[in-house]
Amino acid sequence: MNSPGPADRAESDRRLDAARAAPPPGDADPLARLLAAAAAPTGGNEMDGEEQALAAFRAARAAPTARAPRPRRRLRIAAALSGLAATAVAGVAFAAVRLDRSPAPVIPPTSTTAGTGPGGAGPSRPAPSGPAGEASGASPSPTSPTSPAPVTPPPGGRPAPPPPDGDLAGQCRAYLAKSERQRAKALTTPGFAGLVAAAGGADRVESYCRATDPTSAVPKPKPKPKPKPKKSSDGGDDG
Amino acid sequence: MTGKLTEAVAAAQAGDEEAFRFLYRSLQPALLRYLTTLVGGDAEDVASEAWLQISRDLPSFAGGEFRAWAVTIARNRAMDHLRRLRRRPVVPVPVQALNDLAADADTADRAGEAIGTASALALIRTLPPAEAEAVMLRAVVGLDAETAGRVLGRRAGAVRTAAHRGLRRLAAMLERAGEGAPDNAGATVPHGAGEALLPRPRTDRPAPHAPEAEPAEG
Repeated sequence: MNSPGPADRAESDRRLDAARAAPPPGDADPLARLLAAAAAPTGGNEMDGEEQALAAFRAARAAPTARAPRPRRRLRIAAALSGLAATAVAGVAFAAVRLDRSPAPVIPPTSTTAGTGPGGAGPSRPAPSGPAGEASGASPSPTSPTSPAPVTPPPGGRPAPPPPDGDLAGQCRAYLAKSERQRAKALTTPGFAGLVAAAGGADRVESYCRATDPTSAVPKPKPKPKPKPKKSSDGGDDG
Repeated sequence: MTGKLTEAVAAAQAGDEEAFRFLYRSLQPALLRYLTTLVGGDAEDVASEAWLQISRDLPSFAGGEFRAWAVTIARNRAMDHLRRLRRRPVVPVPVQALNDLAADADTADRAGEAIGTASALALIRTLPPAEAEAVMLRAVVGLDAETAGRVLGRRAGAVRTAAHRGLRRLAAMLERAGEGAPDNAGATVPHGAGEALLPRPRTDRPAPHAPEAEPAEG
């Protein structure tokens, strides 16, 4: 049978590499056109988030305390760290999550602190594969009411942001009152920009706000890197 | 390009805003398109989250392939997003996109670049996730198989295989759409292309079972 498409992996490699090169000739086959279209120069409104990204950059620069340099080895051990980070942040939640692995109807909180820790940025953090990965979504489960204490320190040793002032507290209340879906959207609006900056990022807003709200406090995880990170070598799907 | 990128990374780490702008402009289209194949219409939101984290974590970037680092962050945000949804959105077969891309080159040219890109992404998104990601990281983000493998936590060989399967699947879809009349292309393709066009199984893992759904291999 005359099956379409590249005959082998080498030809596929060539076609994939060619996608970003010159535009395909007029008589190019549909696959070449598809790849070229996928990799075409930018158009439309793809850059709409530019000012927002720059604002985030400025906000990050404006918080120099959070900018402690990390060891260069970081990236190399990032894979291990990702497991540790998830575990450390999850703390108490870790055990809870293990018991709760069957798909519960509960929608997990938006906070994904573990994913944003130093390990989260690692080059090889696999898709969730086991309890550590799951824990990231569940870390802020409100199990122990903490008083208006400082925000849980992220695993990277970053200092906790200061508690919100009156203005931010109001934004927090407004934020927490929103539905899951609305929250992510809301944080992209200018009205919440101050809150995002104060929290140190959109994904930290929830834990930031909860830590200052006695009615929905976060459990304080103890950064004890005891459980070994699960070595995830899924090995891929090839033969 | 890579040299300029490296320079810009260093400058941005030192606080140069214009350098960061350059990084954004260099990466955002590919990042957004890659995310589109992962989370569809939520890609812009996820991209915003990714840029927040990129700007925050930039000082800790320790060198290496910056695009891979950034795309890893974006991927993690996307996986968090999918976990939050607790399901993978059903991906409908983009019949119009299929017809656009399978049509004559003339027609495709007239359709305009932006539409062509959206159609291409819609089609790639119907691939099994592992194949879609491999194709996007290789063809659109421009990573080599080894670097893409680091992003995906897989071996380079696995990435090449997944990308190859993805291309063959795409080629088969396009051929079937091109053979049929435009009106019934949508009706024939889902059956012809087999599991490739069924809603993807709900999984947050790089599908290890992808080989089973390979109709075109042989």
